[in-house]
Amino acid sequence: MAPSSLDVVLKGSSGRNTRGLLRVIILCTIAAAAVSSRLFSVIRFESIIHEFDPWFNFRATKYLVENGFYSFWDWFDDRTWHPLGRVTGGTLYPGLMVTSGVIYHILRLLTIPVDIRNICVLLAPGFSGLTALAMYLLTSEMSDSPSAGLLAAAFMGITPGYISRSVAGSYDNEAIAIFLLVFTFYLWIKAVKNGSIMWGALTALFYGYMVSAWGGYVFITNLIPLHVFVLLCMGRYSTRVYISYTTWYALGTLGSMQIPFVGFLPIRNSDHMSALGVFGLIQLVAFAEFIRGYLPGKQFQKLLTSMVLLTFGLGFGGLVLLSVSGVIAPWSGRFYSLWDTGYAKIHIPIIASVSEHQPTAWPAFFFDLNFLIWLFPAGVFMCFQKLKDEHVFVVIYSVLASYFAGVMVRLMLTLTPIVCVAAALALSCILDNFLVASTPSTETKAKATTEDKSLRSARNPVVGIYSWFSKSVVVASVTLYLLMFVAHCTWVTSNAYSSPSVVLASKLPDGSQFIIDDYREAYYWLRQNTPDNAKIMSWWDYGYQIGGMADRPTLVDNNTWNNTHIATVGKAMSSREEVSYPILRQHDVDYVLVVFGGLLGYSGDDLNKFLWMVRIAEGIWPDEVKERDFFTARGEYRVDEEATPAMKNSLMYKMSYHNYQSLFPAGQAMDRVRGTRLPKESPQLNTLEEAFTSENWIVRLYKVKDLDNLGRDHSNAVAFDKGLKRKRATKRKGPRVLRTE
Amino acid sequence: MRFFTATVLGLLAPSLCAATNLTTPNRLDLPSGFKPPQVFKNTNLVRNTNLEKSYVRETINVVVENVDKQPQNDYYIPFSAEVFDRVGAFEVRDKKAPEKGRFDVDYTEAVSSGGNQYFVVHLPEPLAPKSQITLGISYSVLSSLSPLPATIQQADKQYLTYSFSAYTPSAYTTDTQKTKLKFPSTNVPDYTTTDGLKSGSDPERKGATYTYGPYDTAKVAPGTEHPITVRYEFTKPVITVNLLERDLEVSHWGGNLATEERYWLRNNGSQLTNQFSRVDWTYSNYQKAPTSAVRELTYPLLPGSVDPYFIDDIGNVSTSRYRPSVGKSAGNLELKPRYPIFGGWNYSFRIGWNNDLASFLRRAAGVDSDSYVLKVPLIEGPKMAEGIQYERVIVRVVLPEGAHNVRFEVLEGSHSNGLPVAEHIHAQVSSLKTYMDTLGRTTLTLEVDSLTDEARDSKLVVTYDHSMIDALRKPFTIFAGLLTVFVAAWGIGKIDVSIKKR
Repeated sequence: MAPSSLDVVLKGSSGRNTRGLLRVIILCTIAAAAVSSRLFSVIRFESIIHEFDPWFNFRATKYLVENGFYSFWDWFDDRTWHPLGRVTGGTLYPGLMVTSGVIYHILRLLTIPVDIRNICVLLAPGFSGLTALAMYLLTSEMSDSPSAGLLAAAFMGITPGYISRSVAGSYDNEAIAIFLLVFTFYLWIKAVKNGSIMWGALTALFYGYMVSAWGGYVFITNLIPLHVFVLLCMGRYSTRVYISYTTWYALGTLGSMQIPFVGFLPIRNSDHMSALGVFGLIQLVAFAEFIRGYLPGKQFQKLLTSMVLLTFGLGFGGLVLLSVSGVIAPWSGRFYSLWDTGYAKIHIPIIASVSEHQPTAWPAFFFDLNFLIWLFPAGVFMCFQKLKDEHVFVVIYSVLASYFAGVMVRLMLTLTPIVCVAAALALSCILDNFLVASTPSTETKAKATTEDKSLRSARNPVVGIYSWFSKSVVVASVTLYLLMFVAHCTWVTSNAYSSPSVVLASKLPDGSQFIIDDYREAYYWLRQNTPDNAKIMSWWDYGYQIGGMADRPTLVDNNTWNNTHIATVGKAMSSREEVSYPILRQHDVDYVLVVFGGLLGYSGDDLNKFLWMVRIAEGIWPDEVKERDFFTARGEYRVDEEATPAMKNSLMYKMSYHNYQSLFPAGQAMDRVRGTRLPKESPQLNTLEEAFTSENWIVRLYKVKDLDNLGRDHSNAVAFDKGLKRKRATKRKGPRVLRTE
Repeated sequence: MRFFTATVLGLLAPSLCAATNLTTPNRLDLPSGFKPPQVFKNTNLVRNTNLEKSYVRETINVVVENVDKQPQNDYYIPFSAEVFDRVGAFEVRDKKAPEKGRFDVDYTEAVSSGGNQYFVVHLPEPLAPKSQITLGISYSVLSSLSPLPATIQQADKQYLTYSFSAYTPSAYTTDTQKTKLKFPSTNVPDYTTTDGLKSGSDPERKGATYTYGPYDTAKVAPGTEHPITVRYEFTKPVITVNLLERDLEVSHWGGNLATEERYWLRNNGSQLTNQFSRVDWTYSNYQKAPTSAVRELTYPLLPGSVDPYFIDDIGNVSTSRYRPSVGKSAGNLELKPRYPIFGGWNYSFRIGWNNDLASFLRRAAGVDSDSYVLKVPLIEGPKMAEGIQYERVIVRVVLPEGAHNVRFEVLEGSHSNGLPVAEHIHAQVSSLKTYMDTLGRTTLTLEVDSLTDEARDSKLVVTYDHSMIDALRKPFTIFAGLLTVFVAAWGIGKIDVSIKKR
């Protein structure tokens, strides 16, 4: 008989085995789905590193693989930030590169020849599969329902909030950091539940790995102490909490201090002080608990009050003193901007100029999380209902992460895991109630009728959630939501998050794909046809890409550690040639790279970023560069005839439009990004000459001219070459003096 | 057919195979101040110099007479030391019987700077006194054309110059000789006109063919030079491949022949006076004007080639197109570099594709034989009207793991296959570990210098032995490896590490 044979499989000990096997299969399928949904860009384009920062990580990984770990650790990179250089080995989080390096060497040991680029490209999808598994473990700790973990794993696998940072090719710290974040939290919950030193030590181990991988480790550093602090405030002190926290803090802090970039920050930086404070507090509480056993209540109260006052006073005083004397570093600018969203715009334009540091727009929550976002509060509410230690953690995490996600777009990433947990809790509760709950048996019905005859609803048990109708309606709608979620995730991943941004794609009229590959065209030209140490100046956005693809030294790059140097480049771009040329000469610049989208209508070009260059330069040289000069009298930002003289004479403007007019019939030149008609005459460049322009004019390279052989200034030399007569007027004014600073 | 036994690769002795090289070019050491013995006389010599491509291709037909009293068989052909290393595909045949194959040729070792270097031709049978033989000597000279002016505007025409001696360099006295030059077009603005070498105008012009001579040079001592320079239009790129690495990977299990080629390419034409102008390039492209830049490379692939790719150091080059073969015709891979390659610019890239192994490999004699014969093109390369010169080519044939007794041979026909004689192909057998190999794959590496795209059609034949046990080694290794892992996991799982007693 079929049902009985099914029963053999589904019930008893073999039933447990069957369910276990089923769970493993489901988890593997989820992991596979997580990996495969991130491969859009590889299939559509190629196995290529995306965006900007990943190019640096890729370059560093190549350096690690080629030169070994120790020279990577001591790496001084003289090919960036010319002429300063960068102590790269000590100013990066090495976790990502070391992880790929280890994978590479293991594969080499098995003599499987995999290119390091492919490891880097596929690292993020691979780890997202692991994240889904870690999510299963974490959520299973929160709920008794077997479905919650599986749902959470599935959500985590495909939610766009996480996919946005982990598609194939997006080789960034977040690629492995989110896995580490989730897994560390899982271990922490496990440690708190069991009060086990082993789990605490494992938490510390993975915390150390997390520190080596991403600056976002500060989130864990503050969240775990906060969890413990809230538990203490709720009067839930226990030896379990004590053991796990002290183990984690001691080992974890030691571990984190092994990373050169972190160093002594855990004991000197304000960001880390809460962990230290809670560590002290928990010692006091433990001590008080210990004393309580030996003292009568009255004296204990007195002792406790005085001790609390004393420690608080001492601790606070000490903190203030250390902060003022400078032993403890003040809060970093990025941290301030978390509390005051307007802070960065006023004080640090360079932080504000990055689009991922902008406050989140409300639709983004729905875009990235879809229906999870409205299940999220329900899940948090259900945590309140149970409110064990681990549920407190979920509540705290939710509150903090929601706030941060609202402040900065990129912090949506830290919100996503907890949203998945909470939503899975809520959804599994609904499904359990409606799918599994069986109609109360006739005995209980009989009991109910005998005990309380007046309750009408109880007389007929086949109503409410027990009826087939309500069950089917709820289950059908949940299924529908789930299906829509999958469709939404796939759509968002495919359309919004799978573009490498190095390669642009467009559609031809016949529907076939047309690839615009201007960036690589220009970078490869640089790589092949310029001297190995030719210095390239460009706005900092392209620094990492030039380093990675063109393999040439750059002045500034995406590691924006030196604001003054960036401002210098901004000043060179936004000043007149007479001012810029000495700057270029002083910095040994051989080529200048600008991105110009006017021909194609590519809006992410340098002229649209130009105001940030002006602002950042103005921050350092308020007398020489003024943002106001680039706006017309009516406050417009224009590039046509009406453009201000400062705009028309700026190096950026000249480089963007140099020779552009000759592509069009006279007077017809159009800028397709800004949608304006340009002046008839193309701007005259004296100190630079066009070296290369890519096929669609997106990247333009200019060579900095050497000093004139006859000692003339460049404008005279160019005028002479053109056969123009020397103007008397200039002579009367006297020679123009070059401003060097 | 001559086989050069490469090595007998012992099954378990991979270190042995690396040490045994078989063919290293023979070089003769000559005493300084060496002069070839004057035992021959060139009765008549006609030199054809072809300048239609971006390298020089010369064929010399010479009637040689033995003037000594003894039979002689060593004929010396001199080149100046700086040209000598750029001479490629040197071969000598009997003009009357080219199908008999090429003669053995040796190089001489550099003796003193400025002196001549010699190719020593060993005639198969000694030439009896007073008897004659007609030699057909052909070779190409790389990098001997220089652009003049050295820098031009982007849209200008390009001109190349070629300098040579009106008297063909020879170690022996020549009675009469002449030189025919074939230019790519009739536009030859400058050329040397000689005085007093012969009666009448010299050179004689006939379309794109210029003839210097015939000169009566019986009284002229061998080695006398009369410099001539010609300058002609060549508005095409001078494509030079500094290094070509070509890998052919044979997979018996996959039934696949994978080819990958890595090019380091350079245009040796006139450089740009000013910098590159995109506007001008767009216009000239639109008009399809001739240019000195490399716009596109067309690469014919053998029928049945699949999965072609075209990448460079920073990823896929999206501008290529593949027209697969239909039926028996060759497929065409149209490679457009990321940017036009002007004079002095470099471009390095790699391409690759797969073929069905069955059309290249067969078992030697008998179905049960463990011996295999592989027949593949030695080099392929793009097919361009202006020609391509390769300064150095390294071909690696990666045979299956455990292949041994490797021998190779280059097929020869009745006319030049664009390759030097087999002794001048440097061969080596080594092993390459990849894809979970235990012993490493037997790899035959061939190195040739100074090739041109005339060698496109040359065929390489490799024979090797590969038994069933060799083929089963890898599945067995993987099986054993996995078994070890499982046993180890099971064993570790059995260990009780708990502190408290259970």
